[in-house]
Amino acid sequence: MFDSLLDGLLLVLQWKAFLYLIIGAFIGYWVGILPGIGGATTLALMMPFIYKMTPAEAFPFLMGMHSVVQTTGDITSVLFGVPGEATTVAIILDGHAMAKKGEAGRALGAALTSALLGALIGAAFLAICIPIVRPLVLSFGSPEMFMVIILGLTCISTLSGQGKRSLLVGLMCAGLGFIISLVGQDRQAGILRFTFGQLYLWNGVPLIPMVVGLFAIPEIVELAIQGTAIAGDLPSGKLVKGVMQGVRDTFHYIFLTVRCSLIGTFIGVMPGLGGSVAQWVAYAHATQSAKTPEERAGFGKGDVRGIIGPGAANSKEGAGLIPTVAFGIPASTSTAVLLGAFFILGIVPGPDMLTKYLPVTFSLVWTIVIANILVVAASLLFLNKLAGMTTIRGTLIIPFLLLLTFIGGYTASNDIGDLIVTLLAGGLGYLMVKYGFPRPPFVLGFILGHLAETYFYISTTRYELEWLYRPKVLVILALAVLVALYPSIQKKRLAGREALHAPKG
Amino acid sequence: MRLKGRAMMSFCIMLVGAGVVIQAAQWPFKAALFPLIVGVPVFLLALIDFLLAAFEKSDKEHATIDFKFSGHEDKALVRKRTVSIFFWILGFFFLVIFVGFPIAVPLFVFCYLKLGGREGWLVTLTATFISWATFYGLFVWFLNVPFMEGLIQKAFTALGVHG
Repeated sequence: MFDSLLDGLLLVLQWKAFLYLIIGAFIGYWVGILPGIGGATTLALMMPFIYKMTPAEAFPFLMGMHSVVQTTGDITSVLFGVPGEATTVAIILDGHAMAKKGEAGRALGAALTSALLGALIGAAFLAICIPIVRPLVLSFGSPEMFMVIILGLTCISTLSGQGKRSLLVGLMCAGLGFIISLVGQDRQAGILRFTFGQLYLWNGVPLIPMVVGLFAIPEIVELAIQGTAIAGDLPSGKLVKGVMQGVRDTFHYIFLTVRCSLIGTFIGVMPGLGGSVAQWVAYAHATQSAKTPEERAGFGKGDVRGIIGPGAANSKEGAGLIPTVAFGIPASTSTAVLLGAFFILGIVPGPDMLTKYLPVTFSLVWTIVIANILVVAASLLFLNKLAGMTTIRGTLIIPFLLLLTFIGGYTASNDIGDLIVTLLAGGLGYLMVKYGFPRPPFVLGFILGHLAETYFYISTTRYELEWLYRPKVLVILALAVLVALYPSIQKKRLAGREALHAPKG
Repeated sequence: MRLKGRAMMSFCIMLVGAGVVIQAAQWPFKAALFPLIVGVPVFLLALIDFLLAAFEKSDKEHATIDFKFSGHEDKALVRKRTVSIFFWILGFFFLVIFVGFPIAVPLFVFCYLKLGGREGWLVTLTATFISWATFYGLFVWFLNVPFMEGLIQKAFTALGVHG
């Protein structure tokens, strides 16, 4: 085992493989920063280049690119409120709020450090847990997967607001997200649902234009209303001092970082759930770390823990490789494309990857580690300059943000429909922000709608109602109920504590 | 009963939920199962929220984990700026439809900076050039993204006029 680990490192450190890793990481860096161009698309575009490479050269190239996309996607999300990737949306809530308060440097420092730590934890998990995780993944059937989705939605719905109506509104928004995900051709009966005669909608409402519009357009409107730079009228000197503070914040909340990394790892391992889900569940968990309702109210308005949580969930990139490498089951779209690379290179994922090709498997782990360290170190060097971009006046930055928003939305399928979806999602996002409807549960409901429907349908047709009595389903259901009741329990506990400490008489 | 924006929005979500249920009732079981499971609770939750919001006496805002638009003393100015930015967004969209991305991008940046931002000529022209060069160099030349033609170019092509 140790020999294979060392062999894997030596494979990556060969000059040609290392050069490909750097090229891949460089491409991934820019793909992450540009909104709309997803990691999966870029992996697919790079496929023709690997035909003449050996596995030891091709994997550092592809993994080097794939593993840094989310890390740098955080930069665009924090600075401009435009999601760099679909997997970096959650970080906008607090990251961009901090940028607006003049703490872009601190937010970026925290985002990159937590993403790096998350990636390292995910890589370590990949190295250690391949043999252990196999029974866990295989023991989860459709009913359990459906319940995991319900648990995730309950987490984010409960924690996305304050007061008695938060759960009500959160669940309503999650349900609305589910409804939007219903658009398109139904997979079970082939019925066209809510397509309004549009061929474009047969495949459903695309994710990228939806999240880009939903999050970017309200930020552009806000910038126009403010009439100042993103960071308001704050002096630029304040911005460039925060990077190291952000790094220190991540270590200050190290247990939160580790917990959110483990959440990302667990969700990353589950086939189909993917990174878009992990970030929100990690965010919901980060909000749980607030000890008082006042502290909780600070989330979404620039709490650094709201950055560290989704940043650390970057561990899902490494964990997502586990089912792909060990069982040939891709955990996400990106890993599905990566699976194609395995076949192009003549490697069949499965038990062979844990025996015959174990050094290659470990070279994937080392690639994630090295690529992330290189990119974060390079970013930290000129992060202060990037943070300075938030002081550019609004009138100059708005047309460029609109440009990124439109192109980011359009590149999803290069169709005019993408632009219409971006605009409509932008309008909806504006109304949701204006009237206090939380966007996180809506997005999560929208992302998980297809999967939830598939798992629910399979569970019902295969087990009828008996799936509801499966032990694991009941355990996850109990967890969901506990999560839903958590704010009330926490409130009562706090009230009890305050009553205890209140002066008598 | 005074209908506030929040109540109106809950009412719209309620209508969406009802629409889903009514529509799904006409589909075969396989296709209707999940929409019904989702549509009914959404309708009920939206109904409850609508009633709560409509009959709520205080105008207190409910805290959500999301950002809030900046509070500004001058409401009329906020409204004016909001309407203005939505016009610019729609303007860019129609520009893309009519002339396509390659022309719409520099044209929009130029118009926004000169008319919307009242920037000087040097800043406007430099920013317009940078936007065009970035767009063309990165998306057209390097990434080879296929951008659609505008309606005007399509009309010229249909008339047999080639540029």
